[in-house]
Amino acid sequence: MKRLPLIVIATAALGLVVYAQEERVRHIAPANPVVADKDVNSQPIPRLPDGTIDITGPWFGGGSNGDIEREGGLKPGELPLLPWARELREKRLPKDEPYTACLPMGVPRINPYPWKFAMTYTSKGLTHIYQLHETGDAGAHRVIYMDGRPHPVDPIPTWWGHSTGKFEKDTLVIDTIGYNDKFWFDSRGTPHTEKLHTVERWTRINFGRMTHQFTIDDPGALSRSVTLNFTASLIRPGIKDGGDLLEFICLEDNQYGVAAGIQGVGSGR
Amino acid sequence: MKASVGNVSFQIPNPNDQIPKRVGVWGLGLGIFWFCTAPLLAHHGFDTEYDAKKKVKLEGVVTQVAWTNPHMRVYIDVTGPDGKVVNWNLELTSPNRIRRQGWGPRDLMPGEKVIFEGYGGKVIESRGSLLSIRKAGSETYLFEQGKEDAEIAAEGRPVPAR
Repeated sequence: MKRLPLIVIATAALGLVVYAQEERVRHIAPANPVVADKDVNSQPIPRLPDGTIDITGPWFGGGSNGDIEREGGLKPGELPLLPWARELREKRLPKDEPYTACLPMGVPRINPYPWKFAMTYTSKGLTHIYQLHETGDAGAHRVIYMDGRPHPVDPIPTWWGHSTGKFEKDTLVIDTIGYNDKFWFDSRGTPHTEKLHTVERWTRINFGRMTHQFTIDDPGALSRSVTLNFTASLIRPGIKDGGDLLEFICLEDNQYGVAAGIQGVGSGR
Repeated sequence: MKASVGNVSFQIPNPNDQIPKRVGVWGLGLGIFWFCTAPLLAHHGFDTEYDAKKKVKLEGVVTQVAWTNPHMRVYIDVTGPDGKVVNWNLELTSPNRIRRQGWGPRDLMPGEKVIFEGYGGKVIESRGSLLSIRKAGSETYLFEQGKEDAEIAAEGRPVPAR
């Protein structure tokens, strides 16, 4: 009981600090305002003139960023990494993250900025979908071929791989091979190999949300395939500034590492 | 340590001053430290580049507001007690993110006097991570690190990319 006054004082002091922080942030608007949970069914799911579900966005979230295992709905240690991959993840340092050197994030990574599926129609219908990120794609748009072409037999490994897509009812299914092994799944450094094969299933479940079921198959880094689940939120329509993707030229003035005297950031391995 | 700009003097806090001497108050001290430092700990790259023990609160004169990618920067001249002027290079986040928080290109201009809090670089101390900034005489903050980052850090999760 002797400690009771101290506990009361400590609780009150912490409360004051929290209150002070609330006061300090009250002038700052949310960085990425999205459709609120209570409004996700406020409008019908939009469709294009040909009846195709409109998944354009812009969206916020829906992929990995800090820790693919946790963000994808797995418990710690559930991602079935092979021993060498687990060891590499532990060795990787934040300063070596390719993203910090303005290189592309890769799939399924989505950093906390708007992104969209740009659905491209030609005289042959919906032939391409481009996945555009405000930041994190280094200006290299990811192309998803919707014209029925197959994967190449021996693709050159690339940051975004070779993606083909099709709609299964209202779900966009993207199959990708041909990835390089340079990008990290997350800031934690979760690795993969060039044997990586991914299947994304994107379903707009209502006006404001789109689910992403992501299956990873990589016999080079995982002992078995695994499926993760993410959810993207629609950027709230009608925002005065910044409701759509804004320009971002990452290499303009990247000073990452200089304050710590670090040279050669983002070397990747 | 005291410093001044013009006729305005201010205190550069020493983190050691905040550590309570009585063991019984350690919990309180640690709690306050956690609440005060969580936002900075979460900032992408912070732990690589900046030092949580080098927190400063300074007043200075803006020399440049750089709406550059990948991260916006504000450059501020700070006059020390010896009259020496140091130009601080303060890192924020993406200019798009700042814009969405309501800060526009005419809201802060070179020549304006500001009060800012930040954390010095691990090697170059005047290259700081900006925690908050407001114009001298104003209670309205133009920028603060996001609360969402603080929540992530508080849970001990890996710091996500920004």
